[in-house]
Amino acid sequence: MSGGGGRWERVRDRVRSSSSSMRGDRQTRTVRLGRVQPQAPGHRTIFCNDREANLPVKFKGNSISTTKYNLLTFLPKGLFEQFRRVANLYFLMISILSTTPISPVHPITNVVPLSLVLFVSLVKEAFEDWKRLLNDRVINSSPIDVLQDQKWESIPWKKLQVGDIIKVKQDGFFPADLLFLASSNPDGVCYIETANLDGETNLKIRKALERTWDYLLPEKAAEFKGEIQCEQPNNSLYTFTGNLIIGKQTLPISPNQILLRGCSLRNTEYIVGAVIFTGHETKVMMNAMNVPSKRSTLERKLDKLILMLFGVLFVMCFIGAIGSGVFINRKHYYLGLNDRVEDQFNPNNRFVVAILTMFTLITLYSTIIPISLYVSIEMIKFIQSTQFINKDLNMYHRESNTPALARTSNLNEELGQVEYIFSDKTGTLTRNLMEFFKCSIAGEVYGHGITEIESGGAQRSGLRIDETKKSSTAVHEKGFNFDDARLMRGAWRNEHDPDACKEFFRCLAICHTVLPEGDESPEKITYQAASPDEAALVVAAKNFGFFFYRRTPTMIMVRESHVEKIGKIQDVSYEILNVLEFNSTRKRQSVICRYPNGRLVLYCKGADTVIYERLAYGNDTIKNVSRGHLEQFGSAGLRTLCLAYRDLNSELYESWNEKFIQAKSTLRDREKKMDEVAELIETDLILIGCTAIEDKLQEGVPSCIETLSRAGIKIWVLTGDKMETAINIAYACSLINNSMKQFVISSETDEIREVESRGDTVETARFMKESVKKELKRCIQEAEHSMHTLSGNKLALIIDGKCLMYALDPQLRVTLLNLSLNCHAVVCCRVSPLQKAQVTSLVKNGARKITLSIGDGANDVSMIQAAHVGVGISGLEGMQAVMASDFAIAQFRFLTDLLLVHGRWSYIRICKVVTYFFYKNLTFTLTQFWFTFQTGFSGQRFYDDWFQSLYNVIFTALPVIIVGLFDKDVSASLSKRYPQLYKEGIKNMFFKWRVLAVWAVFSVYQSLIFFYFTTAASRNSKNASGKLFGLWDVSTMAFTCVVVTVNLRLLMTCNVITRWHHISVIGSILAWFIFIFLYSGIMTPYDRQENIYFVIYVLMSTFFFYLTLLLVPVVALLGDVIYQGLQRWFAPYDYQIIQELHRHEPEQRSRPDLLEIGTAMTVDEERTFAISQLPRETSKHTGFAFDSPGYESFFASLHGVNVPQRAWDVARRASMRSRQPRTSIR
Amino acid sequence: MKSRVCMGWLQRRPVYQDQVLKELHVEDRSSILGSMDNDEASTSGSNLEIHSGFRNTLHSSVYGFTQQNLPACKPVLTPGWVITMFLSVGFICIPIGVAALLASQSVVEIVDRYDTECIPEVFRDNKVAYIKDDSISKNCTRILKVPSYMKAPIYVYYQLDSFYQNHRRYVKSRSDRQLLYGLKYTDTASCKPEETGNGLPIVPCGLVAWSLFNDTYNFVHESVELKVNRKNIAWKSDREHKFGKDVYPFNFQNGSLIGGAKLDPQIPLSEQEDLMVWMRTAALPSFRKLYGVIEIDLDADEILTVFLSNNYNTYSFGGKKRLVLSTKSWLGGKNNFLAVACLAVGSSCIFMALLFVLLHVRNPRTFGDPTYLTLDRKSNFA
Repeated sequence: MSGGGGRWERVRDRVRSSSSSMRGDRQTRTVRLGRVQPQAPGHRTIFCNDREANLPVKFKGNSISTTKYNLLTFLPKGLFEQFRRVANLYFLMISILSTTPISPVHPITNVVPLSLVLFVSLVKEAFEDWKRLLNDRVINSSPIDVLQDQKWESIPWKKLQVGDIIKVKQDGFFPADLLFLASSNPDGVCYIETANLDGETNLKIRKALERTWDYLLPEKAAEFKGEIQCEQPNNSLYTFTGNLIIGKQTLPISPNQILLRGCSLRNTEYIVGAVIFTGHETKVMMNAMNVPSKRSTLERKLDKLILMLFGVLFVMCFIGAIGSGVFINRKHYYLGLNDRVEDQFNPNNRFVVAILTMFTLITLYSTIIPISLYVSIEMIKFIQSTQFINKDLNMYHRESNTPALARTSNLNEELGQVEYIFSDKTGTLTRNLMEFFKCSIAGEVYGHGITEIESGGAQRSGLRIDETKKSSTAVHEKGFNFDDARLMRGAWRNEHDPDACKEFFRCLAICHTVLPEGDESPEKITYQAASPDEAALVVAAKNFGFFFYRRTPTMIMVRESHVEKIGKIQDVSYEILNVLEFNSTRKRQSVICRYPNGRLVLYCKGADTVIYERLAYGNDTIKNVSRGHLEQFGSAGLRTLCLAYRDLNSELYESWNEKFIQAKSTLRDREKKMDEVAELIETDLILIGCTAIEDKLQEGVPSCIETLSRAGIKIWVLTGDKMETAINIAYACSLINNSMKQFVISSETDEIREVESRGDTVETARFMKESVKKELKRCIQEAEHSMHTLSGNKLALIIDGKCLMYALDPQLRVTLLNLSLNCHAVVCCRVSPLQKAQVTSLVKNGARKITLSIGDGANDVSMIQAAHVGVGISGLEGMQAVMASDFAIAQFRFLTDLLLVHGRWSYIRICKVVTYFFYKNLTFTLTQFWFTFQTGFSGQRFYDDWFQSLYNVIFTALPVIIVGLFDKDVSASLSKRYPQLYKEGIKNMFFKWRVLAVWAVFSVYQSLIFFYFTTAASRNSKNASGKLFGLWDVSTMAFTCVVVTVNLRLLMTCNVITRWHHISVIGSILAWFIFIFLYSGIMTPYDRQENIYFVIYVLMSTFFFYLTLLLVPVVALLGDVIYQGLQRWFAPYDYQIIQELHRHEPEQRSRPDLLEIGTAMTVDEERTFAISQLPRETSKHTGFAFDSPGYESFFASLHGVNVPQRAWDVARRASMRSRQPRTSIR
Repeated sequence: MKSRVCMGWLQRRPVYQDQVLKELHVEDRSSILGSMDNDEASTSGSNLEIHSGFRNTLHSSVYGFTQQNLPACKPVLTPGWVITMFLSVGFICIPIGVAALLASQSVVEIVDRYDTECIPEVFRDNKVAYIKDDSISKNCTRILKVPSYMKAPIYVYYQLDSFYQNHRRYVKSRSDRQLLYGLKYTDTASCKPEETGNGLPIVPCGLVAWSLFNDTYNFVHESVELKVNRKNIAWKSDREHKFGKDVYPFNFQNGSLIGGAKLDPQIPLSEQEDLMVWMRTAALPSFRKLYGVIEIDLDADEILTVFLSNNYNTYSFGGKKRLVLSTKSWLGGKNNFLAVACLAVGSSCIFMALLFVLLHVRNPRTFGDPTYLTLDRKSNFA
C-alpha cells in the first residue's frame, strides 16, 4: 500500500477541485452555514460476518465513482452543462437560425466558433473526468483482506460488502467505514491518521470495545456473530450512534470505535473490523459535496456588459429591419421581386420583411457577442492561479513548506478589488504558537517576562523598556518561555504554599488529552495535543518537574521529581477513571483520576468564568487576588486558564459514574446528557491558580497591515478573544493607534452588569438593546462631527459580541453600518462564528463593498464562505478553514503579495481582456453594420463566412490571452512599494462604463474608418489594365485591415511587451495571411460560391493594397494614440506615474526575498496614551486560553444542527500541522 | 537526460524542497526545480557555482513565467515618443500622399451622364414605358470633348448608381459551379428565381446573369470609328478558373421577362467577358464596370462622338447611367481619396506633433512627478 498515500491525497484533491471547478452559474446563492446535514431518521441493522442475512437489505457496494460522466452520458450531459452558459446557448440558437434561408451567412460562420469553444471546454471536462476515472479504478481495485472460511482472502475494495470482517494492516487505508473490533495492540487500541479527512496529521487513538478484543485471529473472528444497529449513513464525521448486540448483550458504540474510510492505520500491526458503511455511504464520501462556487464581481458586471451588447445588437437589428421594410420595392426589378417571391423580400408585406430581416441581421451581427470570451477568461484565470499564484516563491513559506494555493480560479481578479478584510485573530494575526509565560499559584504571580504587546504598548507611550536579563534558570523551548527561579528546579518547595504548587503541577500533568510520542525522555518526547495551549501546559509541567511520559487508555504516567526532596525522582502512575472532554459550551475539561494511594481527585481546567461559578465557598482572598492576576495577564495579551481540583470520595464517585455510563450509552442526545452528568460532579472545586500563555504575533503582520491600509483596504478584526486582548493585538498590529478616535461599545459596563445581576433576561435584553442604540447614536454623531472638523481624526470602533448581537438587529443595522464604514479600523471581540459571518455579509450586502475574510480555524469557515473572497491560513490549525476557502496562504503577511501583486495584476489583466474583447467584436460587427446601409438593408454579409467564423477563434484569439497572462503595469516590488496603486482596483477604474464608453467610441471610429476608407479608396480602377474590384475584393481588403489594426491595437494597451506578445501578434496576422493565401488559392469540390477565389492575389497585385494597408491602420490607431497621449499628459493614472518614475530601472530578473515594506510614510504617532489608559478597567473578564478557534463548530450548534462532537478523538485538532509529522513540541 | 540530472540534484537537497514539489503539484518537476534553483542561486549566490550547470534557458524561462518575470520591454508613451511618432507618421504619409495625388491628378477622365438625355423629350415623363417598349429605337448620340491629352490605353467604363448589386437576394442568385461546369451541374437552387425557364435549366442562371448590362457604345473619332477592344477586360482568374471553357449559354433570356443582355450561345462563357465583369458584383450600389479599352491616344480638344444604344433599364429605380473614359496611372484610375487621406493624416500628424510640442513648452509636465499621484491626495473616507 505504498502508493496509497498519494492516492488518497488525490481523492482529497478531487473533492477540492470538483468543488472549485468553474461552474458558477449552477450554484444556488444561499450561503451554506454548516457542512452537516440533518440526520435522516431510522436505523440500519447489520449482521456481521453473514452476507446472506444482509442480502434482503440492499446496501450499496463499496465501489465508488466520482466521475461526472460516463461514455453514454458524456455528450448529452457535457453539452447540457455547456449550454447553461447564455453565450453558448445564444450561439446555438444563432447556429440553428443560420441554417434557415433567412440567414445571410452559411451555418459554418457560427457553428465553427461555437464548436471550437465547445470542443475546448469538452476536452477539458473529459480530461478531468478521465483522471477521476483512473483514480477511481485504482482505488476500487486495491486489495483488502476479508474473512472467508476462517481465512483472510484478498479481494478488491469494490467487492467489499456491509457486514464483512476485514483486516487492515499497518499504514493501510480503511476501505470503508468500519466498526473497530480488535487490534494487534494488547489493549485494543489503534492509532489512526485522519489527514485525508481534515488535514490533521497528528495521530488519534481508537479503542475497541473490550468485548470484541479477542476476535483477532481468523479462526476466532469467524465465530463473531454480532448485530450492529446504527444510524443511517450521514456526513457528520465526528458523530456516531449505534449499538453492537452480541448474544443478549447490548453494547453502545461511540465514534471511538469507528474507523472512517480515508483514514489510515498507524503504529499498529493490524486491526480487524466490521464494515458498516460502504462506498458512497461512507462519511467521507457523503462529505464530498460541492461548495457553492463564488463568482467575481467583475464577472457579474461582465454579464451586464453582455446584456448591454444584446441591447446594442437589438437596436442595430431594429434599424436594419426598419430600413429593409422601407427599401424593399418592386421597382428594383433586377432583384426579381415578382409574384412568387418569398416572404422575406415580398414588397406587399413590408412588416413581415422587417421581422424576418430582423432575424437575418441577428445572425449577421452575432459576432458582437464575444463567444470565446468566457473560454479565454477561464483559461487565463486557470493559468494565473495554477502557475502564478500557486508557484509564487514570494508566497511560499519555507519553514512549513507551504506554497500558496488557489483553490478556485474564479476569483483572481476579485483579489484586486478588495476593500474590506475581515481577519480572525488567533492563528491568523498571531502565530498560535502558545508559550507558557506566566502563572499564578495560590495568589502569587510567577514569571518575569514582558510580552511583545506590553513592550509595543510601552514603546508607543514613550517608555523605554530595558530588556531584562534572563535568570540562569530561564527556559525557552517550544511551548515554554518562562523565567522565574522561584519555581524552577524544585525551588517551589520553598514557596509559601508548596502543596498548592504540587497540585498545580499535577493538574497540568494529568488533566489533558495530550498524547506523548517518541522517546520517553524529557528532551526527546513529542506531545500530540488537541490545541497548542494544551501542549504548552504539559510542557510546562515537564519543566516544573512533572514529566508526563506515557499514556495508556487507563493510565497516565508521570515522572515526578523534587517532590519529596530535591533531586529525587519517582514514576507515578495515575489511573484515569473518566475524561470529561472540552467543548465550547462547557469551556472546561476535567479528568477524574485515582492516585496510587487511592486518593480520588477531579482536576479541572477551564475559562475563568466557568471555573469561578463552580468554586466551593470560602477562600475569597485567593479568588480575588487570582482574579486580579487574570486581568493583569489579560491586558498583557496573554491567554489564561483557571485550574481547580476537587477531592472525591468513592461512594460519591461510584454513584456518579453509574449515571455517567448510562448517559454514555444513550442513543439520542448523548452529548447533551453527558454534559448534564458532568455538571453534577464539577462542583465545589478548589481554585489552585491560573496559567498565562503568550500568543505571539505572526511574522510581518504589522507591516503587512500597514501596507494594506495604505492600499485603501480596511481591516476588521473579528475575534473570540476578550476586548483587552483584541485591542492589544490591534495596537500591536498597528491597526489602531493613539491618534485615532476610538469608539468602544462594550457590554461590560456597570449599568449593564447591574441589570444583568437582577437576573431578568428579558429586561436585560431590552436594556442592552437600548444602551447599544444609544451608544451607536452617540458614536455616529461624534463621528460625523469629527469628520467635519479639519483635523479629521481617523476613527476606530471596538464592539463586543453581546452588543454586536443587538447592533445587528435590523433596526440598528444601518446605523452600525454607517458608523463602521466611516471607521478605519473595527475590532469585534467575543464574537461567535455566526456573528463573524453576519458582520461580513452586513458589509458585503449592505455596503456593496468587496470583502475578504481570512482565518485559519473551523470557526472562521462561515465567515470565509460568506465573504466575496475567503482566504484560509494553511498554518497550524486544522484544514477546515482551508477547505472552505478560495485561496490558502501560509502566513498573513502573504496577503500583501496575494492582493497587491496577484490580485491587482489579475484585475488589470482581466479588465484589459474583457474590454479588448468588447472592442474587437464591436469594431468587427460595426463594419458589417455600416455595410448594411449600402445593401438596401438586405443583410448581405460583408465578409466571407470563414473570415467571420475564424475572426474570434484564430485571428484575434491568442494575443489577448498573452496579455491576460503577462501584462503588468508595474513590477511586483513596485506594487508593494506603492500600495496606493491598489486603490485603482477598489475604485474599479479599469472596468467602468466610462472606460467602456471610450473603447466603444474608438470602436465606432475605427469601424467607420475600416468600412468607408476601404470602400471609398477602392472605387475606380485599381490595376494596370483598368480592372475593378468587386465586393469580395473590397471586403477582403477591409478584413485584412481589421485584423492588422485590432492586433496592433492590442500592443498599444500593453504595459509590457515580451517576445510572446510579438510572437502572438505577428503570428495572428501571419495566420490570417496564410489562411487567405490557401483559402483563395484552392477550389473545393463542395458547393461554395467561389467568391474569394484568387481575391488576395488580385489584391496584392495592386499598389492600392499596400497603400491602404499602411494608411488604414495608421488612421484607425491615430485616434487612440492621441487619446492615450493626452490622457497620459493631463490625467495620468497613478500607475503611469509610477512607471515613469521607475522607467529607467531595469526589471529585476529575480525578485529578492520579500521586500520589507518600509514604513517611511507613516504619520508620526502621538505618543500620548500609555497602554494603561486602555479601557481595561471596564472589564472584569480575562483572556481565556481555550477560546482559540476551531474547538468545535460552535456555529453549527448555534444553528441547532448536529454538533460535530470531538469527544472521540483524543487529540483532535492538529496542534502542529507541519508536514513533517514528528516535529511537535519536544 | 535532463530529468536524471535534476533528480540527482534533488538528492543533494534538503528533504523539504522535495516536499514542496509535491505540494506544488507540479507534473513537470524539472521546471520547478529549475525555478527554485534559480531563485536560490540568485538570492543567496552561494550555490551559484554548483547549480549554474542546471540553469539552462528552459529553466530560466519557466522560472520567469511562473514568477511572472519574463524579459520585456516597457513602452512608456512619453511626450518625446508621442511627438516622434506623430512626426514620423507625418513625414511618411505626406510624400506618399503627394505622390498619390500626382498620380491621381495625372489621370484624365471624361464622365458623361446620359440616362436622361438619351430619352426623347416626349418620353421624359414616362421613362420606364420608353425603355420597356422594344419597338422604339434606343439609339442615342453623345458628343464628348477631350479635355486634355489622353494617353492610351483609355478605359471605357459604364457607371451605374443606386443599383444594388450587393443586395443579398441578388448576390446569392447565381451558381458558380454551373458557370464552371454548365449543364452538367444541376443543383441550381441558389439561382432562384431565375434557375429555370420554360421548364429547362438556364445557363448562366440567376438574377446576376439575367440582369446583364446591355447598353452598347460605339465611338467615332474624326469620322473614323474608334476601335474599342473588348477583350481582356475581366480578371485573369475569372477567365481561367471561374467560367467554363466548354460551357455555352443555354435557354438564356428566354422567359417572358427579359432582364438585360442576351448572350451568344455559340461563344463559351470563358470568352464572354462582359458577363464576367458583370458577375464580379460590386461592393457598393454605385459602381463602374469596365466596358473596353481604346488603344489610341486622344489629343486635347478632340471631339468624340458616341453612338450608344440605351437599352438598360435603370429608370424603374431611378438609377443614373454614365459613360466614363479614363486613362490610368500607377495607382489606377482617378481617385483622390487615398491621396487626400494620406495628406490629411500626414499633416494632422504634424499638426498634432506641433500641438504637443507647444503643450510641452507651455504646460510642461514633469515625468514621474509623484505629486500627480491622485489617490493619495483624496480623503480616505468611504
